[in-house]
Amino acid sequence: MHEDSDLLDSSWLIYMLAKSSNTPEGRLLSLFDILNDWLKAPNVLQHCHLSSANHALLLNYCIAQAQALGAENPEILAEHIVLIAHNAAQQNIAHPLSNSLMHAKKAANALILAQTQPAIAVTVKRANTKPIAYGIAATLVLAIGASLIWAPFMHEQQSAPQMHAEASNTHSSKHAVTPAQALTAQDATQMYAKFELMRQGSCQFPEVLQMPDKHKAIYLENVVGGKLPANLEDLAIANQYLAKIRCNYTPMLMAASK
Amino acid sequence: MTGLREKILTTASNLFQTQGINSTGVDTIVAVAGTTKMTLYKYFGSKEVLILEVLKQGHLDFQNWLNDKLSNNTKQPSEKLQKLFDYIEEWVTSPDFHGVGFIKASAEFPQEDNPVHQLSSQQSQQFKQYIHHLATEANIKDAEGLSLQLSLIFEGAVQAEQMKRGSGAIKYAKTAAKILIDGASKQ
Repeated sequence: MHEDSDLLDSSWLIYMLAKSSNTPEGRLLSLFDILNDWLKAPNVLQHCHLSSANHALLLNYCIAQAQALGAENPEILAEHIVLIAHNAAQQNIAHPLSNSLMHAKKAANALILAQTQPAIAVTVKRANTKPIAYGIAATLVLAIGASLIWAPFMHEQQSAPQMHAEASNTHSSKHAVTPAQALTAQDATQMYAKFELMRQGSCQFPEVLQMPDKHKAIYLENVVGGKLPANLEDLAIANQYLAKIRCNYTPMLMAASK
Repeated sequence: MTGLREKILTTASNLFQTQGINSTGVDTIVAVAGTTKMTLYKYFGSKEVLILEVLKQGHLDFQNWLNDKLSNNTKQPSEKLQKLFDYIEEWVTSPDFHGVGFIKASAEFPQEDNPVHQLSSQQSQQFKQYIHHLATEANIKDAEGLSLQLSLIFEGAVQAEQMKRGSGAIKYAKTAAKILIDGASKQ
């Protein structure tokens, strides 16, 4: 790193981002990992400066990534991410123990979700505030459905109460009704909460070789890799394996308290 | 003569917000306030002291406004955190919004040993602590982490809005904040 170089506007950073991931989302989020890692490297802090918030090279690269991932407003997403990275890097320089870049990464991920899943805010609100209304609606739909289905389809009627019971829960019910339905914000946040918890512990993962082929891909990508599943069917499979992971959090907590 | 001091303070605050702090000279402030340099220096000593006083008053006004809004429009303490970005969005999108004092001042005075920069950093920390307090009231386990995430989102959105009015950054910031709060609530 040359003296007085702007770490956030260097072609080196673009090169590092480009090779960091094979998805645009991954490349955007890697920005925080790279900065977090690199600001700890010898002699970097003394020679890099972040005096300007205008990082044209990085901004243009991030706009291209935001466009590639289908953001609603790529320019704003990229600008916001670059500003957060700049501010968090400054905080990290001033307070190296603040872990600001990792929190900035979470914030950036939420911004990506906010721009790539337009219905997310509505889903979060409804899921949180109107569970009873959902239960009533599910009951009505099932009651109407059951009244239409008569004796020849008796076995289907028998399954209705089970579906009704599941409908009062969250994503497991959605999986039963519409297997290929996209994830809601609630599913995403629950999944991220699990990943975050796992990162704080020492975890034992199930053996991949014993899994069916379809499950292997989901397990490696969504459980080990930490990427959100594409739909509720994959989420159900991922959750099945997440439940089998055993984690020990004690040593990490003790280490963090030092 | 408190009225004259207040007038200088208000005039300086308006000019700093609309024209920038460094671009606004003492001559302009006294001319707009209808007073003299001697009076300005009598009350504030220097331009730097005036800047610090403007920042302090602006931050106090912002905190009081937000506090009143949240206290008057929520029934449970836990609701305040959920409503925080609703009111921030209303404020940022209002026609009178010209930016946040401590964010603008920090950009105009990047030198860490400058008293204006130091006060800006202190106010940024105070705002983070305020979010931390709301998160604690809402029984968020990782109140420290969430308050840092939300303050980063807030400051980034305000900076984006300051650069380009009506950018929409605050709208996405609000949605992202809800995602983060929802996630933190489940931990």
